[in-house]
Amino acid sequence: MTFFSIVVRGLTRRPVRTGLTLVGISIGIAAVVALVGISRGFEKSWETGLKARGTDIVVSKMGSSLAPKPFSDAVAELIVKLPHVAAISSQFVELLSIESSQMMMLSGRQWDGYAWKNLKLISGRMPLDDKEQAVVLGQTAAEVLKKKIGDPLQIEAAELTVVGIVDGGAVVENGSAILALPLLQEIMSEQGRINVIDVRVTPGTSEDELKQLCVEIVRAAPDVTAMAAGEHLSNSQSFRMVKAMSWGTSLLAVLVGVLGVMNTMLMTVFERKQEISVLLALGWKPSRIVRMVLWESALLGFLGGIAGVLIGVAGIKLLQNTEAIRGLLEPDLGIGLLLTSIVIAVVVGVMSGLYPAWRSSRITPALALQG
Amino acid sequence: MKNSNTCVYEAVALKKDYDDGQVQALRGVDFRIEQGEFVAIIGSSGCGKTTLLQMLGALDKPSTGSLHYRGSSLPDLADPSVYRAREIGFIFQSFHLLPTFTALENIQIPMLESDLPASERRGRALTLLKSVGLEHRARHFPSKLSGGERQRVAIARSLANGPSVLLADEPTGNLDSENARIILDLLVQLHEEQKMTLVLVTHDMIIARKAARNLQMLDGRIVFDGIPGTAAPSP
Ligand SMILES: Nc1ncnc2c1ncn2[C@@H]1O[C@H](COP(=O)(O)OP(=O)(O)O)[C@@H](O)[C@H]1O
Ligand SMILES: [Mg+2]
Repeated sequence: MTFFSIVVRGLTRRPVRTGLTLVGISIGIAAVVALVGISRGFEKSWETGLKARGTDIVVSKMGSSLAPKPFSDAVAELIVKLPHVAAISSQFVELLSIESSQMMMLSGRQWDGYAWKNLKLISGRMPLDDKEQAVVLGQTAAEVLKKKIGDPLQIEAAELTVVGIVDGGAVVENGSAILALPLLQEIMSEQGRINVIDVRVTPGTSEDELKQLCVEIVRAAPDVTAMAAGEHLSNSQSFRMVKAMSWGTSLLAVLVGVLGVMNTMLMTVFERKQEISVLLALGWKPSRIVRMVLWESALLGFLGGIAGVLIGVAGIKLLQNTEAIRGLLEPDLGIGLLLTSIVIAVVVGVMSGLYPAWRSSRITPALALQG
Repeated sequence: MKNSNTCVYEAVALKKDYDDGQVQALRGVDFRIEQGEFVAIIGSSGCGKTTLLQMLGALDKPSTGSLHYRGSSLPDLADPSVYRAREIGFIFQSFHLLPTFTALENIQIPMLESDLPASERRGRALTLLKSVGLEHRARHFPSKLSGGERQRVAIARSLANGPSVLLADEPTGNLDSENARIILDLLVQLHEEQKMTLVLVTHDMIIARKAARNLQMLDGRIVFDGIPGTAAPSP
């Protein structure tokens, strides 16, 4: 028998209470995994989407909502003239409920823009021109909408035909319905307006030149913001808020777990007062009692962390396969996040054990001979 | 701690108050206990026997007076847990085995404070369990043992770190007479064969008479100190 087996025995002696405490802490940790995983995944899939389209700078007008605000397509003319700009691709992007899908990314793309070039046809064909009432679907979008080549697709008041199914090389792309820019402008009654300009720079452009170009874009068109693809989302006000909220919400859930562990450990210390005094009378050092309590609560945290990570990952996998979310994001469940969550859980366990441990250090061995 | 000294305990004007002096549990006691003695502390309930044992075990500090163990002042020990772990074996009236540990595990608990490597703890615990005749109960939890068996396990546990003094507070108080006799025989055997100093609190005169020396207490004072039966206990 070792010190650690005594720690374990402390938790197994009241399995129901230990179980309930674990549920409390694991829900908090599951919230961390799920919410942070989703917000990070959102960021990552946006970035891979940009990369798949071969975009170096994104020009948009980020307001307080996640969807960018429309501006005049005359801005595109100004940008294309700037140095280091190799090509641009204007877009009108919108999140809409289409037929059976609650939320789908719609991307109206400038007909001669480069953003069409990265789409690999899986079946069917591309639209013939920007007048044809045609749409191509990313493969996930096609699955979600249950469409095949030749099927009609209702977008707001317009009825288009699905002519192709494509692989866009990124989750966001594959979850989108893609059509010619003028068609979407007409559907949304936003003629002559766009809300995203993808900019590709000439090969060999340095980081500094890229930054300089962003400054010049904003100077040329003061209404918009221009950001290098990597920093685009993380610099967006609204995205930062989403991120802060997901951390905030999940830490609140963790706090509930903290209270649960603290309560359990306090109960453990109080109901074992006599036992602890006997241990002291048998020669245990008070520091060993304190360590026992702290190890117990750390172990509670660790087990709760493992359970929480499993619940969080399972929850996200479930969510990912619901029609509402599918194709919109790819949660980032990197090993880093999972390990961070478990570390948070252990830290939470130790912190929750501090006060109960302090209480345990106040127990007198004289109690052993009383009663 | 000076080993040459045969005096194990020396108390001078030892007092213990509780609740800011409202309760005077020890009102000034003086005594010496020599190496290898068997002393029974007797007296009616509430006279201060347990309080005295707490002082001897360094479970609590006296209010005034001095108490030395082999020349070292007990209230001034930097770490009384070292003294308790190495020098003392405690035996309680209600056994105080830990309910979530088997008999064998209970005996190993004090060994965590010793230098004994983990691999040898189990073996030593088994030897101790054999010495109290309960090796067949090694894997049983305390709830499955009889009162007498529990106290025998507790005695084995008190010996875990090879103490030189056994302190027992009414060790037979919760037992029937047959089991009380077994426990007493075990303690007397330890005292005789291993030359252990045994300080035993009891209000059972039959047990008290087995000791070579009785300390009779009354109201926080020692009113008789001598060979049992040589003076009529004062009322
Ligand atoms: N922790 C304590 N607080 C207050 N009074 C105490 C405490 N411990 C013992 N006493 C009192 O001290 C006196 C002696 O108690 P104790 O040593 O337990 O007696 P005994 O063991 O001889 O029955 C009693 O009056 C008891 O009520
Ligand atoms: Mg008593």
